[in-house]
Amino acid sequence: MSEALVAVEVPGASASGTSGARQFRRRLRAQRAALVAAAVVALLALIAVAAPLLTAIEGQDPTTYHPSLVDSARGGVPIGSFGGASAEHWLGVEPQTGRDLFARLVYGARVSLGVALGATAVQILLGVVVGITAALGNRWVDQLLSRISDIIVAMPLMIMALALLAVVPGSFPRPVLVALIIGFVAWGTIAKITRAATLTLKQLDYVAAARLSGWSTLRIARRELLPGLAAPVITYAALMVPVNIGIEASLSFLGVGVKPPTPSWGQMLSSADVWYQAAPQYLLLPAGALFVTVLALTVLGDGVRTALDPRTASRLRVGTGHKGEAKA
Amino acid sequence: MTGFTGFALRRAVGAIVTLLAISVIVYVVFYATPGDVAQITCGPRCSPAQVHQVAQQLKLDDPLYVRYWHFLQGVVAGQDYSTGTSVERCSAPCLGLSYRSDRQVMQIILGKLPVSLSLVLGAMVLWLLLGVGTGVLSAWRRGRLTERALTGVTLAGVATPSFVIGLVLMIVVCGQLELLPFPEYVPLSADPEQWMWNLLLPWLTLALGEAAYFARLTRASMLETLAEDHIRTFRAYGVGERSIVGRHALRGALAPIIALNANDVGAMVGGAVLTETLFGLPGIGQELVHAVNVVDLPVVVGMVLVIGFFVVLANAVADVLYAVADRRVVLT
Amino acid sequence: MRHPSDIARRAAAASVGLVLAAGAAACGPKDNDAKGSAGDSAPHKGGTLTVLNSEPQTDFDPARLYTSGGGNVPSLVFRTLTTRNRENGAAGAKVVPDLATDTGRPSENATVWTYTLKKGLKYEDGTAITSADIKYGIERSFAPELSGGAPYLRDWLVGAADYQGPYKDKKGLSAIETPDSRTIVFHLNKPEGEFPYLATQTQFTPVPKAKDTGTKYAQHPVSSGPYKVVSNDNDGEHLVLVRNTYWSAATDAERKAYPDKVDVRSGLDSSVINQRLSASQGADATAVTTDTNLGPAELAKVTGDKELAARVGTGHFGYTNYIAFNPKVKPFDNAKVRQAISYAVDRSSVINAAGGSALAEAATTFLPNQKSFGYTPYDLFPAGRTGNAAKAKELLAEAGYKNGLTVTLTHSNSKGFETSPEIATALQDALKKAGITVKLQGLEDNDYRDKIHSVKTEPGFFLAHWGADWPSGGPFLAPIFDGRQIVKDGANFNNGLLDDKSVNAEIDAINKLTDLDAAAKRWGALDEKIGARALTVPLFHPVYKRLVGKDIRNVVISDWTGVLDISQVAVK
Repeated sequence: MSEALVAVEVPGASASGTSGARQFRRRLRAQRAALVAAAVVALLALIAVAAPLLTAIEGQDPTTYHPSLVDSARGGVPIGSFGGASAEHWLGVEPQTGRDLFARLVYGARVSLGVALGATAVQILLGVVVGITAALGNRWVDQLLSRISDIIVAMPLMIMALALLAVVPGSFPRPVLVALIIGFVAWGTIAKITRAATLTLKQLDYVAAARLSGWSTLRIARRELLPGLAAPVITYAALMVPVNIGIEASLSFLGVGVKPPTPSWGQMLSSADVWYQAAPQYLLLPAGALFVTVLALTVLGDGVRTALDPRTASRLRVGTGHKGEAKA
Repeated sequence: MTGFTGFALRRAVGAIVTLLAISVIVYVVFYATPGDVAQITCGPRCSPAQVHQVAQQLKLDDPLYVRYWHFLQGVVAGQDYSTGTSVERCSAPCLGLSYRSDRQVMQIILGKLPVSLSLVLGAMVLWLLLGVGTGVLSAWRRGRLTERALTGVTLAGVATPSFVIGLVLMIVVCGQLELLPFPEYVPLSADPEQWMWNLLLPWLTLALGEAAYFARLTRASMLETLAEDHIRTFRAYGVGERSIVGRHALRGALAPIIALNANDVGAMVGGAVLTETLFGLPGIGQELVHAVNVVDLPVVVGMVLVIGFFVVLANAVADVLYAVADRRVVLT
Repeated sequence: MRHPSDIARRAAAASVGLVLAAGAAACGPKDNDAKGSAGDSAPHKGGTLTVLNSEPQTDFDPARLYTSGGGNVPSLVFRTLTTRNRENGAAGAKVVPDLATDTGRPSENATVWTYTLKKGLKYEDGTAITSADIKYGIERSFAPELSGGAPYLRDWLVGAADYQGPYKDKKGLSAIETPDSRTIVFHLNKPEGEFPYLATQTQFTPVPKAKDTGTKYAQHPVSSGPYKVVSNDNDGEHLVLVRNTYWSAATDAERKAYPDKVDVRSGLDSSVINQRLSASQGADATAVTTDTNLGPAELAKVTGDKELAARVGTGHFGYTNYIAFNPKVKPFDNAKVRQAISYAVDRSSVINAAGGSALAEAATTFLPNQKSFGYTPYDLFPAGRTGNAAKAKELLAEAGYKNGLTVTLTHSNSKGFETSPEIATALQDALKKAGITVKLQGLEDNDYRDKIHSVKTEPGFFLAHWGADWPSGGPFLAPIFDGRQIVKDGANFNNGLLDDKSVNAEIDAINKLTDLDAAAKRWGALDEKIGARALTVPLFHPVYKRLVGKDIRNVVISDWTGVLDISQVAVK
């Protein structure tokens, strides 16, 4: 990547090969996709926030058991087609318990999105700060920080979770704790990427020039590096969200996750996997929700990146535009 | 080459410091963690007197720093131990004995390592092919059907937990279509072909979860590079598109790909627990989880050190690789 | 309690079936009752039996195994003085001779037990099995290096409490005498009419002293049974057994040993095991599992498929899942509160959380619902199927909680069958109806065990379970309700901290009985008497449903183990 970032100060960006109109349409289309994605993310956030309202409209809640809606003799599979979907239970009920799936899905969005996005923020913050410091600092600082991130990467989640469990008091708000834990255990990759990218950037003339002219490290980082880092970091961060949702599910088994009966998508997925033949919608609902979230965040990430450096996006098309058929 | 020797030396020192730090952390964490080792080792119904005997046998009554010191001594000089009927030698680097089974931790690790390495390295090849391939396509041939399909698959892969992908793959491919046998680990040395067929689904499961990262990263980096002036210059000179993408754009994407790959490979040696469990592959990850559950400290320390070793190694290799890929980077 | 020596817990998501470290009953000589569920034609010798398990067969050393009745796979290699009767159902809960000629000859007050070995018993190397080897096998189970077995030998044998095994203490245990090579005599410090049951455990396996390799013995224990170990990779991860040619069916009425080879594989995910058994491709057609149940989701699929349903074996193991109270913690010191909760419990939703009515049966008694335990039906605080909220509210009002009550229920976070968040949330929901607000305290599994088994930290209200060391009321009731078994500075299982003279005296009186049927009746009566104190709320007894491969024959499932007996299975 990287070298491209140099382009920031290079004039003549508009002198691209394709026709202006075509380019404009392309850019518009890209932005439109991002807008749709932003709308989807906003909708998901709205659903999460409005979960109590939505379930009130449905007339259900996420924790009440409905034993009469599952077939106890057959392992508790929901009675009726489509997982017991009905006017009362829009998306059917959970196997074994008969809890309302719609309610669990929308309440689960709160936990999963909140925790995952919070954790991602922590990861980006830690990873970028550590990565840049490692790349810009002297050899010792770099070595030290690189080793620390090695340790974090090497240390299995379970052990980190156990350590934190021993330290944090039980009264600490759970979702915040979970977001912090995930953020704290999984920032290593972002740090590595940031460091690698910064190392390359550092070699570039304009950064070197800035250093020579006596800019402070902080200023260099803010003015010259952050825009260049935005692309790889944002690209990666959108994909951290599903991973973080998965980690949240794993943590709940270690006693550090969100407490039952509070639902989360991760927990739903991990109890639903075995049901995929007997009650497929139980698996497909959280999986589908997660897929839509990831897709929207990915597209949105691209859009944000484009917004940060609009020329890149437009010029990118240059290569793809006219010589695309060269492969023949 | 002095530059490289110096680099290797610094990295070796760095690695030792990292591994020491890891071992200290694990010791301290386990000291503070619930779970009475002697009681768990002895069994839930053991009387206090018997638990005490076991604690003495395992030298659990020593202060933590003494136990850690013994551990270090074993690593450097090896140690002798009693099986009850005879005295055996655990030669250096001795990582101690399992509390649970009294087997040498090093032997336990050596038994598991081929499985984990087979799994991770094979999966790596797949995720690089799938991920970088998708990334290149989506940077170069945007909007084509193949590109869209591949992007969709990789995104679905990252959005779906590995246990779901793995289970569904297995039920469909092995159970319903009967295209492959249900996976079981066959050592590479025993039968390379069976090794591959048995590992195909586990590789695919891991790779599907990882490919999207590489696809996104490759795409982003390539787009940046393709937008650069020198690429335009190349084009102006009539350099073929293939050559531009292959030699120049992809090369620019190498640094972050290598960095990400190093991290993932290192962490995956011990982190592919769910895939190992699902496919019954007796690897490092599964053993580690089990050891943590029964608070088998020597095994946990040994396993985490091995994982740490691979993380450090993978990162060192990555540094060398991207120095090769990008000659402006100086090895530190 | 019979705890699997391994804690069956997976990190994250792997769902864990109920794992039995032991559990196998081989059917005996009377397999002519073709009741074996898959026995569609006569069993024949030969072939390879594959065992697909989730947990490895760790500690394959008779000193270290904690089994009920000698275990399933272990029982193929280790013979013991007595063993389980390898028959279907209740008949399989009887104890029968194995190496010995009878189940033991007690002295008048049941404190001295004498056994005589059968003639012609041999190890895998052709050498003779002697009574001294059995004594040595028991002694080495006292070595701290080889810990893991059940506590009874240490508690019962005279002067054994502080014995440290033959490696540290060469003198040996004077409580065991071997007057000649075929006779062995045990001296107990109190009457124990159930000693024959204890003698089924693997600690009663002969170990030749010259072949003892201490902690390495598990790698290749010397076989006295029909199979010997060919390889034991990574502490029981992959165990291969072949015929022991020196074993003679003439001396062994219990083990059938049809297959030529037994291949035990482990580390498999439980849903994969069930997928493989149902698909029955290749070697899986002759496969069984000794530790993995059908889960609820799989059950939903299997019940709709006749071919598969015919391959499901159903069994009952003596096991009770219950709510435990610590009456030292408020408000559970008030019997009315405990009774109110007993009335309010909705067993149907708990059973659904445990996998549905096919996998769990409602329990109102602490003792398992089997004759051998002395099961006496009672329902002292009838909650019906879904709970009696009105009666519960009434009792709460009497106890001074007119406006409801808030309590904390402690459970383990491990996913699975018995003490899991799933059961806890089901109870939480059910108690709401009676005006009881339940806060959940989920603990990491080791933390949970530490807390509930320590007198100092025991919570007031938690999920617990208890399983049978052998199918009788004694090992079921005594550790939980005998006041002298309260352990103040170690692992305590008397959750209710009950120390009642009349209960203790009755336990002693029953232990004197050597007529096991008479003893069973009194255990049943004692259970009801203790039940009136509402120190526990029995929730359910699990039912085991397990698939076998399509070519498996002669499935025998006893009430002792509840799972198919591997020593009876044939693959041809």
